[in-house]
Amino acid sequence: MSPSGTIEPTEVVAKARAGDAEAWGQLYHDYAPAIFRFCRRALPSREDAEDATMEVFMKLRGKLVQYDESRSFSAWLYKIAANHCWDTLRRRKVRQDKETGDLDTVPLEHPDASQLEKLIEQRTSEEVRKALAKVGARARMALVMRYYSDMSYDEIADELGVRRAFVGVVLLRARHELRQALESRAALATGGAQ
Amino acid sequence: MSEANDTRTLQSSEHLDEITCLMYIERQLERVRAAEVSAHTQECTQCRTLLRALERESRLLTRALFEEDEPLPARLAEFQERARRSMQWIWGVVVGLAATGVYALYSTYVVPGQTELEKAGFGGTNLLGLLIFQGAFWKGWQSVVTLLEVLALLTMAGFAMMIFRRRSRRGYVLAMLVATLLGGVLLPGTAGATEFRKGEASERVASDEVIHGDLFITGSRVQMDGTVEGDVFVFAQSADINGHVKGDVIAFVQSTRISGTVDGNVRGFTDSLFISGSVARNVLAFAGTINLDSSSKIGGSVTAFTNSPALDGEIGKDVLMFAKDISLDGKVHGSIRAKAGDLHIGPKAEVDGHINFEGDKDPSVPSQAKLAYPVEFKRWVHDSENSPRHYVWQGIWSAALILFGLVLFLLLPDFALQSVDNSERYGASFGLGILVLFGVPIAALIACVTVVGLFVGISAFFLWYAGLYAAQVVVGGLVGQWVLGRTRELWPLIGRMVVGLILLRLCTAVPVVGGWVKFAIVIWGLGAISLSIYRRFAPVVTPPSGASTPAPYAPPPLPPNTTVGGIQPA
Repeated sequence: MSPSGTIEPTEVVAKARAGDAEAWGQLYHDYAPAIFRFCRRALPSREDAEDATMEVFMKLRGKLVQYDESRSFSAWLYKIAANHCWDTLRRRKVRQDKETGDLDTVPLEHPDASQLEKLIEQRTSEEVRKALAKVGARARMALVMRYYSDMSYDEIADELGVRRAFVGVVLLRARHELRQALESRAALATGGAQ
Repeated sequence: MSEANDTRTLQSSEHLDEITCLMYIERQLERVRAAEVSAHTQECTQCRTLLRALERESRLLTRALFEEDEPLPARLAEFQERARRSMQWIWGVVVGLAATGVYALYSTYVVPGQTELEKAGFGGTNLLGLLIFQGAFWKGWQSVVTLLEVLALLTMAGFAMMIFRRRSRRGYVLAMLVATLLGGVLLPGTAGATEFRKGEASERVASDEVIHGDLFITGSRVQMDGTVEGDVFVFAQSADINGHVKGDVIAFVQSTRISGTVDGNVRGFTDSLFISGSVARNVLAFAGTINLDSSSKIGGSVTAFTNSPALDGEIGKDVLMFAKDISLDGKVHGSIRAKAGDLHIGPKAEVDGHINFEGDKDPSVPSQAKLAYPVEFKRWVHDSENSPRHYVWQGIWSAALILFGLVLFLLLPDFALQSVDNSERYGASFGLGILVLFGVPIAALIACVTVVGLFVGISAFFLWYAGLYAAQVVVGGLVGQWVLGRTRELWPLIGRMVVGLILLRLCTAVPVVGGWVKFAIVIWGLGAISLSIYRRFAPVVTPPSGASTPAPYAPPPLPPNTTVGGIQPA
């Protein structure tokens, strides 16, 4: 996937690798908004996202020679971004959140489907984004990697340092956290309206 | 977890759990299991509703994440140009500091040493070559020097290629280096009519004996009364050279006495060197004491690193000396350049050239001494640790160390990373570090004393010495990671190494404590490097063929799909 949803920028990447400043500028122009959005979703603040975007592109500059042209460029770039963001979060020790110990005890219950449908129907994208800011770092990171940059379970497992079999659990837990955040926002809004 | 679910068979009466539903819409279930789930949802309304809800949730998430709610900040829009400018500035500073460090190193040590040694009668192109590789210790050194020079050039070329690589890969550079190394190893060795003599207690060359070539002689006590037409290499506790040596004498001896005639040079690593005979060319010595008897005659120069030399004989050319106390009561036809605590000139002293003396005390010069020029004395200035000059030099050396680290990390990125990782194994690193810090020089010395191990011994010593600096680089890498976080990538790791090294230099600059901190850092880093070397060469134990190993992950039969276009329940 390229940011505009069009073809892969093979030629531009090849020129940028060869040191063409214009091609590099083109790559930055095309991909910086998408990477900024990725970082904005994954990291707690706008400033963090801006810093991270710059650093991701600085890394890209050094790593461009390692890029395997048979792979999708955007997928590769997202992987760099994910790696950087997760590293940033880990440095701040937010990685040590509680999910680590809970992976083995995923609930297998059948939730109330109609209630879940109702919750989802009533929420807007903006509310989801605000709720996303309230969930734990690992959960947020997992959701962004999966539903924004379309990373595979293997890639997510690799980034988060969990076994592949647990990626589904991490995602499910992340959804639970998000639902809780959406519900508490709704409760707050209701309370505020009364 | 999900594998456990996959193996279960569905009973129509029971509902699907949420994780199974999620795996289903994410297309992560095995085909059989997915078919079961599909069949179940055809009949079960509740599960179908759950699947639909999860799909909607996925869509909502994707939409929420993708929506462009914020424009690209202006700071990021300008980033490219600013990054380029800032990088230019940083690289300018780095290159400037590194160049200053290299120049300081060259001008402080290499040039003066080379100039002085050239004055003292040693021809050559570099200090290392002059001191050790000039063909006297071992004729094979000459080809090794050439090899070293080629390797140095190729290393620099490799460094440049790594920095400016766009199309070339590191493997190519390494291949070049390896090819060169192999080429060097395959260079033909030198051949000669060399005689080996080894005695348990004492070994003697009789006065009527003539050896037509080089002589390697070892023993507790060695006496050479005969004639050797080549060089003499002595490894012993005590050696008396009473005969005639037409080549050089190279001595690794506790106590060396030369009362005979040497047509070439005398080069010695010895506790005491006593010369009462004649040496036609130069004397180079690393010795505790040097005594040139009044009857001795040296045709060339004398260069010595010693504690207390007494120069009572006749020296044909210049004297270069680093010592504690120098006593001069003989004739020197050249000039004298000396750095020492004290210089005593005796009444019989005669010096035709200039005397440059740098020391703590004024030299004592009796009126009877015949000196062509007055002694030029310069008092030693001991840099105060608080002087600005001291800090400037600290900065310059830090820059040189950073440059060394940069080259090390670029040339051996995997090894560097592994060493930094190993430094976190504190117990093993410190234990091994102590062993290597003290063990390697001792082993190198032992290797030098045995004839065959001379090359190995000196090489090991140089590697060990380089390791003392590399150790600081490795620990710097770890400290940098503590401060800035972990990374597995080369340039960020180099950045962390630079930050770590600066912090370490600050710590080691603290008076008294700093010295101990540096000592600990060296032990720690040496241990980590040794651990990496050990792991590289340690045999890999492979499991027996029948042992059960976990099956590699098999990709699911259906590709992952985040847009939830999976099997639609009826």
